[in-house]
Amino acid sequence: MRRWLRRRAENVAAAMLAVMFAAFVVQIVFRYFLNFPVGWTSELTVVMWLWLVLWGAAFVVDEREEIRFDLLSGAAGRRTRIAMGLAASLALLVLYGASLPAAWSYVTFMKVEKSSYLKIRMDWLFSIYLVFVVAILGRYVWIVWRLLRGRDEGAADITKASSGL
Amino acid sequence: MSVASPFALAVGAIVALSLLGLPIGHAMIAGSVLYLWTKGLDMGTAAEQLLNGMYTSYLLLAIPLFILAAEFMNSGSIMDRLLRFCNALVGRWRGGLAQVNVVQSIIFASMSGSALADAAASGRLMQTLMTKDGRYPASFAAALTAVSSVIGPIIPPSIPLVLYALISDTSIGYLFLAGVIPGLLLGAVQMGLIAATARRRNFPVEPAVPLRELPRVTWEALPALLMPVILLGCLYSGITTPTEAAAAAAAYALLVSAFLYRSVRWRDLYDSLLTSARTTISIGMLIAGALVFNYVITIENIPKSLAALMKAAELSPLGFLLMANLLLLALGCFLEGTTILLVIVPVLLPTAHALGIDPVHFGVVAVVNIMIGLVTPPYGLLLFMMMKIAGVPLKDLVREVLPFLAVMIGALALVTLVPDLVLFLPRLMGYKA
Repeated sequence: MRRWLRRRAENVAAAMLAVMFAAFVVQIVFRYFLNFPVGWTSELTVVMWLWLVLWGAAFVVDEREEIRFDLLSGAAGRRTRIAMGLAASLALLVLYGASLPAAWSYVTFMKVEKSSYLKIRMDWLFSIYLVFVVAILGRYVWIVWRLLRGRDEGAADITKASSGL
Repeated sequence: MSVASPFALAVGAIVALSLLGLPIGHAMIAGSVLYLWTKGLDMGTAAEQLLNGMYTSYLLLAIPLFILAAEFMNSGSIMDRLLRFCNALVGRWRGGLAQVNVVQSIIFASMSGSALADAAASGRLMQTLMTKDGRYPASFAAALTAVSSVIGPIIPPSIPLVLYALISDTSIGYLFLAGVIPGLLLGAVQMGLIAATARRRNFPVEPAVPLRELPRVTWEALPALLMPVILLGCLYSGITTPTEAAAAAAAYALLVSAFLYRSVRWRDLYDSLLTSARTTISIGMLIAGALVFNYVITIENIPKSLAALMKAAELSPLGFLLMANLLLLALGCFLEGTTILLVIVPVLLPTAHALGIDPVHFGVVAVVNIMIGLVTPPYGLLLFMMMKIAGVPLKDLVREVLPFLAVMIGALALVTLVPDLVLFLPRLMGYKA
C-alpha cells in the first residue's frame, strides 16, 4: 500500500513538471510565433514549481535521497546513530509542530488575495505548505517510532541525493 | 551578541541538526523557526518567507528546465555519438581516453548545469571504458570523472550561477558568458596535467581515427553539439527571457533525442520527468530552507555589519577576494555547496560591493570555488558519488584527485587575480562593470 501510494505521488510530481514544461512551450509559441503574449502560463509555471517542491518533499523524496550531512552519523555505531536520529527527529517535531498554528493563520489570512491571472485564491495556492508541514510531522513520528523499535535508517544514498550542483 | 542570543541559538540548532543527520533544508527551516520563537516573533513568518520567496522567484524556474534539458540529452545514443566525436578529436594522444573524459565533460557542460548530473550521466560508462583490460587504474579513472565533472556548472548553462543571479541580482546572461573562459581554463589545466603525466604513467593511446572520418563523426554529433547555440542564441539575441531560453533548450533537447536520435520511448520520457522532478525537489528544499534562514540573517543585519567591519579594517579588494577564497575552500571541505552559495555568499556580497568588486567576477570566483569544494575531502559529493559508481576506496580516490586539485586551485587563483579572464566575454556583449 505504501509503495502504491508512493508511486501515485511520483506520478503527480512528474505530471507537475510536465505541466510546467508544457506551459513554457505554450508561452513561447504564443509570444514569439503567434505574437500574442499570454500571462496565465507564467503564473501556472510558478504555481507548479511551488507545488512540485513542497508536494515532493512531503510525499516523493525520502530521507535517504535528501541532501544531508552524514559524515558523523555514517561513522557512528548503530546505537549512537539511533540516538542521533531520535534527537534530530524530536527537535524537528517540536519546532515544526510549534510553527504549525502560525503557519495556518498565515495561509488562511491569504484568502484576501487572489492570483493575478488565474484568479485563484491565494490561501488555496499556499495550502500546499500546510500539507507539507503535516506530512513531514507524520513522517517523523513514523521515523521516531521505527527508531524506538531499534530500526536503523541507514546511511544516505549519494547517487540518489542530487542537489543540482 | 551574547552567546545565548536567538541568532546564535538558531545557527547552533542548524549546525547541530545537520550534524545529527537531518536533511539540510529541514534543518534550516527548523533553526529559523527556533529563532522566531525565542525572539518572540510570529512563527508564521517562516511560512510567509518560504511561500512568497518561492512564488515570486520566477528566475528559479530555469533550474528545473535545465535539469530536464540535461536529462533529455542524457541518453545512451547521444552519449555514444559525443564520445566518438571526442575520441576522434583527442583519442590519438597519449592518455587519449583520459583526454576524452575531459573533453566530453566540457561538451556535456554546455548542455547541463550540474556537476553531479554530469558525473552520473557519464561516470559509469567512462569508468567501464577506461578500466577495460586494465588500461587505467580504477581510482585514476574515477578521480578524473569527478574532477572533470566540476567543469559542468561553470560553463553555461549553470544551476549555481542561476542561484547566484538570484541572490546577487546580477544578469544571468552576463554570468553565463563570464563562466565560459574559467570553465575552459579548468578543462585546459586538467588536460595539461594528464598530458604531463601520461608518459611517466604509461597511459595507452587509442587507435587514431582517420581525419577523413572526422566530418561524419562531427555530423552525427552535431544536433547535440548545437544545443548550447540554441540556448545562448535565445539568451543573447534578447528574444526570450532567461527562463524561456531554458525552456527552449529543454524543448530542443526533447526534439533532438526523440526525433533525430529516436532514443526516447514513453517510458524513458516518464523516467526523465521523474528523475528531474526528484532533483528539483531536493534543490528546491535547500532553496526553501535558505529563503527562510536568509530572512533571519537579514533582520539580524549580519551582511551589513560584516561590510562595515571589513571597510573599517581597510581590507583591499584583493585581500578580501583571497580571504573569501580561503573561507569558501575551507567551508567546501565540510559543507554542501548549495548551502554555501545560498547562505554564506549572500553574507559576503555587501562587502564585495562596498569594496568595489565586480559582482559578476565575484560570482564566478565563488562558483568555481564551490564547485572545487565538490571534490575536496572529507566532504565532497562528487567523491562520494564516484566512490559508489566505481567502487574504489575514498583514500585511493583522494590520492588521485590531489594533483588535479592543485592545478585547479592554480586556475582559481588566476581567475581571482585576473578579472579580465572572467569579464572579457561579458564586456564583448555590452556588460559595463
